[in-house]
Amino acid sequence: MTTFILRGAAVRGAAIAVLTASLTATTALAEPPVDLSKWSPDYVRSIAGTEEFDTAAECGKVTPLDYKGRLTFWYQGVFEGDPDLLRQYYKDFFETFRKTYPNIQLEEQALTYNDLLDKFRTALLGNAAPMAVRLQILGGTEFASKGYLEPLKPEDVGWSTEDFWPGAMKAVTWDGVTYGIPTNNETMALIWNADIFKRAGLDPDSPPATWDDVVAYSKQIHDKLGIAGYGLVARKNAGNTPYRFMPQLWGYGGGVFDEADASPNYGEVRLNSEASKRALQASYDMYVRDKSVPTSALTNQQADNQPLFVAGQLGMMISHPSDYNVMLDLQKKATGADKEKAQTVIDNMRYGLIPTGPDGKRAVVFGGSNIHILKPEYVEGGKVDEPAAKAIICFWTSPEWSLKMAYAGSNPGNLNGFKTKWMKERLDNIKFLDVTTSMLPYGIPFPALPQAPEIMNIIVPDMLQNALTGAMTVDQAADDAAEKVKELMGGL
Amino acid sequence: MSAPTVVHAPRRRRIDGWRWASRFFLVFMLIYTAVPMAWMMVTSIKSGFAAMAFPPEWWPSEPTLASYRNLLDPQNSVGRDFLRFFWNSLYVSTLTTILAVLVAVPAAYAFSRFRFPGRQFLFFSVLLRNMFPAVIFLVPLFILMRFLGLVNTHGSLVLTYLTFGLPLAIWLLKGFYDNIPIQLEQAARIDGATRFQAFVLIVMPLSVPGIIATAIYSFIGAWNEYIYAYTFLSKNEQLTLPVGVQRFFSENTTDFPGLMAASFMMSVPVVVLFLILQKYFVRALTEGAVKH
Repeated sequence: MTTFILRGAAVRGAAIAVLTASLTATTALAEPPVDLSKWSPDYVRSIAGTEEFDTAAECGKVTPLDYKGRLTFWYQGVFEGDPDLLRQYYKDFFETFRKTYPNIQLEEQALTYNDLLDKFRTALLGNAAPMAVRLQILGGTEFASKGYLEPLKPEDVGWSTEDFWPGAMKAVTWDGVTYGIPTNNETMALIWNADIFKRAGLDPDSPPATWDDVVAYSKQIHDKLGIAGYGLVARKNAGNTPYRFMPQLWGYGGGVFDEADASPNYGEVRLNSEASKRALQASYDMYVRDKSVPTSALTNQQADNQPLFVAGQLGMMISHPSDYNVMLDLQKKATGADKEKAQTVIDNMRYGLIPTGPDGKRAVVFGGSNIHILKPEYVEGGKVDEPAAKAIICFWTSPEWSLKMAYAGSNPGNLNGFKTKWMKERLDNIKFLDVTTSMLPYGIPFPALPQAPEIMNIIVPDMLQNALTGAMTVDQAADDAAEKVKELMGGL
Repeated sequence: MSAPTVVHAPRRRRIDGWRWASRFFLVFMLIYTAVPMAWMMVTSIKSGFAAMAFPPEWWPSEPTLASYRNLLDPQNSVGRDFLRFFWNSLYVSTLTTILAVLVAVPAAYAFSRFRFPGRQFLFFSVLLRNMFPAVIFLVPLFILMRFLGLVNTHGSLVLTYLTFGLPLAIWLLKGFYDNIPIQLEQAARIDGATRFQAFVLIVMPLSVPGIIATAIYSFIGAWNEYIYAYTFLSKNEQLTLPVGVQRFFSENTTDFPGLMAASFMMSVPVVVLFLILQKYFVRALTEGAVKH
């Protein structure tokens, strides 16, 4: 039996109001299609299924449906391990696009999450990039600042800037110019195994309230059962690491800069603040002092936590709602006695809000992906078919497809997606969705800086590794990382 | 009175410590190399859930060939892609091998038989490319391929693989030709054969083991290569197997049985090739190393 853990509504409501203000503080909002100040699972349910959208008609206004052209397009794809449901939606998307725009010759290429940025960088060096690309949220400002991207705002493809989370728009804005459009936005949640909690003497239906509790629960699970308590990941150059460490850093009141403040200006490096060091100390305590996380955490990413969780060897982890769908797929394909065992794992899965810091601060990475158009000089053949690119961008960022393409693990970039009938259906079909939509207002975007990928994928994991391997003390690792960020930023 | 009989105490065979140590070492090495292969095969016949079970099942209680069916079924997208990647790898590796042998055979022969100015320098300079890590040449070669219009073509891979496959092939074959007595060719020349005829009719048949070993080296190098294929190709239709198997990894999850089945299928051509031609391979290695 699965249960949703959503408690402390009053406290949360106040926190949401403050954090929503921070997420919406970038631009003077005209009229967003949803009322962000009312954001709650009930509100999301109340708006789901209240509007109909005709994607072909909307996009036909941007690029005529009989337009003849050619488009090369790269995107972070879904592959064999992803939920069947999501893979089907991706397949449907490209089929529908081809039917809607039969005269656009689309050459799409799916790339894996960890490879996309590196491969794209190499392609740019050789002027062999695709005409349009969908990148993870970290990439936008890096490539915009280097002049690779064409200015592109939602209005260029038939939508309004207010149709998107203001926090997400920050990630595609560089030097006051918008260079892309958010396709999906996501916030993760804490997943735990109720049976492990019970056997370890913990309340199976209560997640750890604070990060300090996570450390204590992890130790208790390890001491009682001899298995890993918390799924710490510290792999270098893998997006999974900052997505799981930054909520902890922000929760303790730390940060790389002031990105967790309402109006960040990234002017001060805070990676070696006392609060940041406390967050790093928590990881150190779990890995070195208590040995309560996987020994392989230094090279682990989320894909390594999942087998441990499925096998009942891991008590807690941070992940997407898609983990639930992956489990359903595994159960569906399991045979014999495994089918029953898989069902037991599903029954014991619990989702809850990400824990808070000691001061009650709750935070999560406001992640997702954005879609961009390249400048012709960096594209293979030296030409960009802009109408064709806008057609696919309009399609992907539409209420319908921005929801369907994020069906199992994320949320629609276009806020109108929450109003579609598919959102209603999704709320009924996908367990734990309430938890991740509840986390959205706590989302903090990565610093909208070109250096952000280097900081998040290299410097932050390096800091963790230096502390956890004993190469440096916690203080030294934090100071070292802060120094590297300062150097990278040109001597802040 | 009978002569006293001498009873010899049974002689204790001396334990040959080195022999036993080497046996243990060989058994250890066998386990070290064979167990991962065995584990790969066992995982490939598990369901996704069983592959993650703890403690692991040494033999699945419900073995399934679903992953193989998936890979070999051209009706579904996974099978279609896998078979295409397989064909692409086979095409690139075979073409690389043929070209490597075609170029390396005369080049190695020339280095072995002819004395010309700069011979030593040239011979060592062919190795220059192999003295640096492959990744150093990644971006320069990518830009070069772009200039040549070869990005997103298999030609870019064949050309690149030749740059690091050829030096090794030339060195390997040169050692082999050095061990073929020049007197055999001289005898053929006395009997009226041209140098080319002596090469084709006398030297080539004798160097077959070396050529086969060179071909295997080139084939395996091209078959397993990842980083250049990953960089130069970005169209799904053209990907080779090492890049293609990445599709079993996702952001948050891995399809272990699918990955293991694909890896097993990927190892089949190399293993078969090696098993069929291993006697030549070993001969080439040893003959090239000893002066007669």
